[in-house]
Amino acid sequence: MAQTQSQEYPEVAVTLNVNGKDFTVNVKPYERLIDVLRYKLGFLSVKEGCGRGECGTCAIIVDGKLVPSCLVLAVQARGKKIITLEGIAPQGKLHAIQKALLDTYAMQCGFCFPGVIMAAYYLLSRNQNPTEDEIRYALSGNLCRCGSYLRFVKAVKLAAEYIRKGQIYFDLKTVPS
Amino acid sequence: MASPRAEYVKVVEELFERKKEFWLIGQYVQRWDAIAKMLGKARFTADEAYFFKNLAYVYSVRAKYAHAKIRKIDVSEAEKVPGVLKVITYKDVPGVNDVGYVLPDQPLLAYEKVRYIGDTIALVVSEDPYIAEEAAEKVYVDYEPLPVITNPLDVVSFGGLKEKEHTLIHDERGSDVIARFRILKGDVRKGFKEADVIVEGEYRTQFQEHAYLETEAALAIPELDGGVTVIASTQCPHEARRAISRVLDLPFAKVRIVVPPIGGGFGGKEDVVNEIGAKAALAALLTGRPALVIHKREESIIGHSKRHPMIARYKHGAKRDGTLTAVEAEIILDTGAYASLGPFVLWRATVHSTGPYKIPHVHTESVAVYTNNVYAGAFRGFGNPQVTFAVEQQMDKLAEELGMDPAELRLKNILRNGDRTVHGQLLDHGVGLEEAIRKAIESTDWYRKRAEYAKQTGTVRKGIGLALLWHGNSIGAEGADYSSVTLIINRDGSISFRTGLTDFGQGATQGLIMIAAEILGVSPDYFRVEQPDTSATPDAGPTVASRSTAMGGNATLVAAYKLRQRLNQVAADMLKCSPDDVEIHAPEVYCRSDPSRKIRWVDLIEECFWRGVSLQEFGYYRAPKAVWEDETGHGEPYFTYTFGTIVAEVTVDMETGKVTVDRITTVYDIGKVINRVGAELHAEGGAIQGMGYALMEELVHDENGRVLNPNLYAYYIPTIMDAPKEVVALWVEAGYRRGPFGAKGLGEPSIVGIAPAIANAVAHAIGARITSLPITPEKVYLTLKRLGKIGL
Amino acid sequence: MYIPKDLDDALEYLDKNAPDSIPIAGGTDVLIQIREGKLKPKVLVDLSGLKSQLSYVKRFNGKIAIGALTSVAELDESFLVKDRRYLGFADVSAKFASPILKALATIGGNIGVAVSASDYVTLLHVLNAQVKLVSVKGERVIPLEKLIVDKRTLAKEPNEIIYEVLFNELPENSSTAFMKFDRREMIIIGYVTCATYLQLENNVIEDARLAFDRVAGRVPGRARKTEDFLKGKEFSLEVIRQAYNEVLPEEMKRKSDFRASAEYRLDMSKVMMKRALLKAKSRIEGGV
Repeated sequence: MAQTQSQEYPEVAVTLNVNGKDFTVNVKPYERLIDVLRYKLGFLSVKEGCGRGECGTCAIIVDGKLVPSCLVLAVQARGKKIITLEGIAPQGKLHAIQKALLDTYAMQCGFCFPGVIMAAYYLLSRNQNPTEDEIRYALSGNLCRCGSYLRFVKAVKLAAEYIRKGQIYFDLKTVPS
Repeated sequence: MASPRAEYVKVVEELFERKKEFWLIGQYVQRWDAIAKMLGKARFTADEAYFFKNLAYVYSVRAKYAHAKIRKIDVSEAEKVPGVLKVITYKDVPGVNDVGYVLPDQPLLAYEKVRYIGDTIALVVSEDPYIAEEAAEKVYVDYEPLPVITNPLDVVSFGGLKEKEHTLIHDERGSDVIARFRILKGDVRKGFKEADVIVEGEYRTQFQEHAYLETEAALAIPELDGGVTVIASTQCPHEARRAISRVLDLPFAKVRIVVPPIGGGFGGKEDVVNEIGAKAALAALLTGRPALVIHKREESIIGHSKRHPMIARYKHGAKRDGTLTAVEAEIILDTGAYASLGPFVLWRATVHSTGPYKIPHVHTESVAVYTNNVYAGAFRGFGNPQVTFAVEQQMDKLAEELGMDPAELRLKNILRNGDRTVHGQLLDHGVGLEEAIRKAIESTDWYRKRAEYAKQTGTVRKGIGLALLWHGNSIGAEGADYSSVTLIINRDGSISFRTGLTDFGQGATQGLIMIAAEILGVSPDYFRVEQPDTSATPDAGPTVASRSTAMGGNATLVAAYKLRQRLNQVAADMLKCSPDDVEIHAPEVYCRSDPSRKIRWVDLIEECFWRGVSLQEFGYYRAPKAVWEDETGHGEPYFTYTFGTIVAEVTVDMETGKVTVDRITTVYDIGKVINRVGAELHAEGGAIQGMGYALMEELVHDENGRVLNPNLYAYYIPTIMDAPKEVVALWVEAGYRRGPFGAKGLGEPSIVGIAPAIANAVAHAIGARITSLPITPEKVYLTLKRLGKIGL
Repeated sequence: MYIPKDLDDALEYLDKNAPDSIPIAGGTDVLIQIREGKLKPKVLVDLSGLKSQLSYVKRFNGKIAIGALTSVAELDESFLVKDRRYLGFADVSAKFASPILKALATIGGNIGVAVSASDYVTLLHVLNAQVKLVSVKGERVIPLEKLIVDKRTLAKEPNEIIYEVLFNELPENSSTAFMKFDRREMIIIGYVTCATYLQLENNVIEDARLAFDRVAGRVPGRARKTEDFLKGKEFSLEVIRQAYNEVLPEEMKRKSDFRASAEYRLDMSKVMMKRALLKAKSRIEGGV
């Protein structure tokens, strides 16, 4: 019986460094990083909205750069430092951008948030005093259909303020639920 | 109306009258699920797949043509592909092969013909999604192509809306018209004779795509009793259960629908889960494995309902002083290949077709027809954005003809307390429209800008325009309108909140919690929201039609009220004061007249437990039955209406035609602001989604019925860089006495008035009117060029 | 997936296995082509590991060379966007896809894709750019305009890869600009795009080059007749107007599609040309 194309490719073992930890996992050469992060390693914060890099929901940080995990093959990410939403703050704490998004009541369906937070995190890691135009540009690859855009602008400004004051992490317990 | 009031209605009315002070209602409160979502811990449907072993992926093999007869389906080659667990066709459907929401016109799996490119012929089920997709290429279908109809005017024509000769798409129904409605009041010929000015226009709106960031997904798990559990991204779990039970020929008790957090709905996830839930369930039951259906974006765009495009012709007549004398309209909606919620959309469009005005003579005729385009169904606004686009431009055109300010013309004709709608419905209270207009005008410095911008020269011009809206709350005459909620106070003092109403971002559930919290005297964080689950949460009706607060809110109110009465009795006994004197401010409970007499909330709960006083309550609310006469459109279509005024401020670059929205000011009369966070987010989010509808969104089909832009790269929704600088959200609270504390809905009203306000602002800026959506730069530019207003 | 140790390794592999094997850099186009079923390679040769060798922005001997694997994000950090003459690169970047794609998308990839929306190609055309290709057989340099033959069609062998793009340094009294607009601000295809190179002396156009997303074919190209008209004339709105009304329509043939009509595209080409020239002029005179 003829093999399917998928069966012609044996799996390869790759070691991925995600949020500071190494994970070794078997992947097909055509498997996308997003699928491996989600379904093999359980980093479910990484979302898929389009599969073509056009919506921003799969945005993660790889070696310090913002990339769409749906357009990176898992084998291409071996040996690189990957950060997902699960890794931007220590356990039990919120990162300044997360706190600011709570403070500005930006949350609606939440599906775009992981990607938005990573894009904001990336911006703030390079620029702790962004202008409104810089914020809008930095988040322009993240689509939000519920329309929280104006809140994102306020939140990033607020987060920048927190960071400039040295408040990078906030204890979850101090945040009213 | 004359029947004795049910107890639950009495409770709602009494609380509306009595309760004037609120400690929580109207405040800013964080959503119950904000933190989980913020940490990336909220699990959406596709995320649940991670927790299942032996998952099977279900791939839909879709039609090659938009209209064709099926002569033969051959899946034998596909079945042989290694790794394929099963290939499913219509022959494998145990029950009824239909998933239509209103009409039984939509096969789950095609068998005799395909009617649009998204029709599914077969399902390929495999452990490996790549294999499933590969094997799909080996499903061979013998088609006999038929003529493809993409223009609704090939099915009906203006001047009577009669059906034309054409190759029927739904030959089994004998007609491609799915519904007709009308409003007939007075005598429009007389009305037009009395008019000093008459204004006519043809207005066209486009297919709009929901473009929620989370695409459709359903995960079905076969259960031990031969039933199935479906985890799905659906706005209507109980409707999905009905549809899936029918397809599988299983009783309701064997079909369970569970709803995780949903990444956006906007109406797009009302009926699609009938289809994908049934697909997943079938695959699960036939393979004995958990089965996942998940749409790629391209599939999502062609595989679920859209907003109905509209072509409408309107004629308005008015006296010199601005008083409307007559409105005549013919409205055509394109419902695509299947009806979906089309009949209801047409009905709502018809009800609202004349705008929130007093008009002595009206004749509206409307029709919805099939074409081979992607099918149209529910989308936030549900027919109202389309007709409001037409009506509000007509009103502005009248104002131009009369030399009147557009706001003044509106004030001359709007409905006020004591007026009757064109259906003859008396609105004796709760009409906050005038206040909304005045607030909007004042906030935006309307008159000065209208005058100033009219004097502009230069190629970059500003414009300011307004639009009014009204939106009937809940489902009106579409069906039985009820909602329910269960409140359970647990022995540790926490409260379980159960309802079949779902959340897809709008956060209405937070408002419901706030209502219960307000009445019970506990803070919202005492509540735990259970996910909607047909096995555990009561049928609250569908989460549609801006009804969660209006209907779910009342059900919550009633449940909380009854619980509170019982708690008061027990506390009164424990504190030795009268029940009316009991004050609950959890964790404390005390006598208002003597606060030193107090106990703890947990003690009160424990005492109720030991006394056998039930700490559970089921809240139910049934809306008054809508009245609608098909022949005349006379009656009481909705029990109340949300009103609104939108002012849009734009800048137009006349050299390119590009319109930038600088500010949108929204003033909605929502009766009472319950969840202020949610209300503001609706005003902002609706403004942005409405802006997309107005300026950039359009799903395009070619003449073969294929979608030319089935991805987010070519279907343009607003990015953050397109969002206006500001959305100013103001409120009017003209309470409706049978709403929870007077509250009315906002889910849909928040998009209805945006596009017409922008259209009117653009017309003000450039001195010419664009009567079709979207108002693209090209349309603006070519209009200006043809009029000689811009030259290169 | 084949992950080469170094460039020679990659070239060897391609020589033996192309065209069944194709190179992938950022993957922002290749992976989408595969998703759509338009490309079905047996093996992808991952060049992303060769960044140390192929990612650079250098200047030497009066030329500027940009390595093919230089990402858009890296271009944003180079001296190009700080040099008044090369601000066209900043313009392209500002409207390039979305910020999320910039770390992956490479200039070599943009050239390799070769569609009308390959904005760097449009800009590079006004820089008279050349492309160096390498293979096991050695290297060769070919003008960019000759390399891109048609939509997604390059005059290169399957075993060749794009190594770097080169252009001469621009004179002091010159600048570049690029314009792109659409119904929304970002993640856009662009109704039209226009890149310009302008050299002014005492307000006289010493040299002008214009490229658009499409001129006569389906790929970016130069509007040479219009350029020739402008050369030597006084820079004024009237001259520009004459250029775009009388000359441009002779060489530009636009097509209509579901997004825009030919008429609109032609008119917008004129508007973008004007704006690009004005922008370049203001840069030469000290503005941004």
